[in-house]
Amino acid sequence: MTPLIYSTLIISLGIGTTLTFASTHWYLAWMGIEINTLAIIPLMTQSHSPRATEATTKYFFAQATASATLLFAATSNAFFTGSWDILQTNNPLSYTLMTLALAMKIGLAPLHSWMPEVMQGLTLLTGLILSTWQKLAPFCLIYQIQPHSPNLFMALGLLSIVAGGWGGFNQVQLRKILAYSSIAHLGWMVLILSFSPPLTLVAFSTYLMMTFSLFYSFMMTKTTHINSLSTSWAKIPTLTALTPLILLSLGGLPPLTGFLPKWMILQELTKQDLALVAVLAALFSLFSLYFYLRLSYTMTLTMPPNNPAGTLPWRLNPSHNTLPP
Amino acid sequence: RLIQMSLPNISRVPASRLLRSVRDLRWLLRSIAPLAVPRRALTQMGYRRPGQPREDKPPWWRVKFDLSKGLKGMKRHFQLLKEEFFAEFVGPMGKPIIEHMLEQNQVVWEFRGPHSLQEWTISCDREIGGKSEIYLKIGKNNETCLLYGTLCSDPPKDGETRYSGYCTMRAKQPLASFDRKKYHDWSSFNTLHLRIRGDGRPWMINIIAETYYTHQKDDMYSYFLYTRGGPYWQDVKIPFSKFFLAHRGRVQDDQHRLWLDKINAIGFTLGDKADGPFQLEIDFIGVCKDYAHTEDFAYEKYKRNPEV
Repeated sequence: MTPLIYSTLIISLGIGTTLTFASTHWYLAWMGIEINTLAIIPLMTQSHSPRATEATTKYFFAQATASATLLFAATSNAFFTGSWDILQTNNPLSYTLMTLALAMKIGLAPLHSWMPEVMQGLTLLTGLILSTWQKLAPFCLIYQIQPHSPNLFMALGLLSIVAGGWGGFNQVQLRKILAYSSIAHLGWMVLILSFSPPLTLVAFSTYLMMTFSLFYSFMMTKTTHINSLSTSWAKIPTLTALTPLILLSLGGLPPLTGFLPKWMILQELTKQDLALVAVLAALFSLFSLYFYLRLSYTMTLTMPPNNPAGTLPWRLNPSHNTLPP
Repeated sequence: RLIQMSLPNISRVPASRLLRSVRDLRWLLRSIAPLAVPRRALTQMGYRRPGQPREDKPPWWRVKFDLSKGLKGMKRHFQLLKEEFFAEFVGPMGKPIIEHMLEQNQVVWEFRGPHSLQEWTISCDREIGGKSEIYLKIGKNNETCLLYGTLCSDPPKDGETRYSGYCTMRAKQPLASFDRKKYHDWSSFNTLHLRIRGDGRPWMINIIAETYYTHQKDDMYSYFLYTRGGPYWQDVKIPFSKFFLAHRGRVQDDQHRLWLDKINAIGFTLGDKADGPFQLEIDFIGVCKDYAHTEDFAYEKYKRNPEV
């Protein structure tokens, strides 16, 4: 792809999200989301392999369905209430449809089935954009919709935590693990949205930082499978020692950063007399913790079989400045 | 009644002036002969091997209702579902993670009894009217399988087929409970390892991966297998990076590497235009991880169009 086209697509991604952030009219917000979808499509099919094309097609179908539903919901809200303002979404049917459409956009359970297959077909860089940047615009809209009843968000949140943990249970493909991790984290964010939107923002920002770090670690070691992760110690030893911290942070273990949003969410849920929901969320997060621990175990805590030539890359590749001079 | 229809009689059918150029009446008469079932039901019922009698029955008539067989089938499928469910608690693909990590060799297909032959299907150009023959049997001591037969390159005399002479053996798609597709996940490995004993003929190994679009259903990744004719066994190791993409046997311009996470089947094809008997004995087909092989894809990709 020529630099001009590549930069046009990246700028379009930025413009789409910014447009959605800055809009108060549903049409403009929807347009921003559509620009985002259309801009990432060529980035996903860059490699021309059938798996990338399949991932792009599935992504397009899911996003187009969600966009159509969102537009229909916005139009019906304007029909019933006479207002196109995002903050004036009062009609219950419209509000529910919008929530479901945006849930499908970001990959919340039970509308999450497209996410692992799509992530599996992409390169790590495109997967990173999908997991982080592409979530900003729909999340901005979810944040602005005034919740009439917290039940829908809680149901979506709990289902996502379960689906994210159960789905990633026995995965060996790193991109699929990251997809399920994304689903689970989005579940936590949406769970507390009705009660404390700032906590959702805290959870989202920590999720962005941790996911970006993890994707970048996998990009530096060029690993997409758990077995290739296990031999990555030979490429960048320092990163191998630090990546478990990112993984355990994603798992929500104290005293790492990822524990903070989970703790505060559980505290807020308890204050809202939803102790059962808090217990269920914490219990189902153990599934996610299991596969993060498994990744840490294979990467850092064990020494799998390797040949002598495979143990040398860290000496031969000086471009990685992770070793002390 | 059909034979009595002559060409001048047919010409009276509207828009049939072009029919006068038809020399062979058989295919024409077959197309306008009345049938008990609509044409669409017949053409979409599936593949019919040449020589088999045409089934002139509606689709619902062809179903064999057998309650005991149905109950046994349901029991088998639920049993498989239960096993799959509990295998998830053991580890990925039913194996503990430590075994998955330490595994460097895996035997995927081996032939240890007549039940092993159920996983394979054989075919030759007899399907299109040719004269080749192919058979598959278990070798001596139930240790190997023997694929043998006769290759004949004479094309069938149907007026349109120009080339013939192929024999092939292909693994069946593994199925999970309720006949769902299951895939082989070879992403931990990078080399195909076969132990075979041939007769000196060159074979083609085809790997069929899972695709998405219907126009990709005949895509396969192929590579050559040259056999030695001697009595000694041959260990063949082919890296997956060497497999090239072909569609219906035609090598594609837009090549890419074989994705190993969803493999459907493997096949062996003989089409070397050397008429006569052939034999191929296979001990096992496995995959292995060669740490010294770091190549991603063996073929350079050229940009065919100006970059947009």
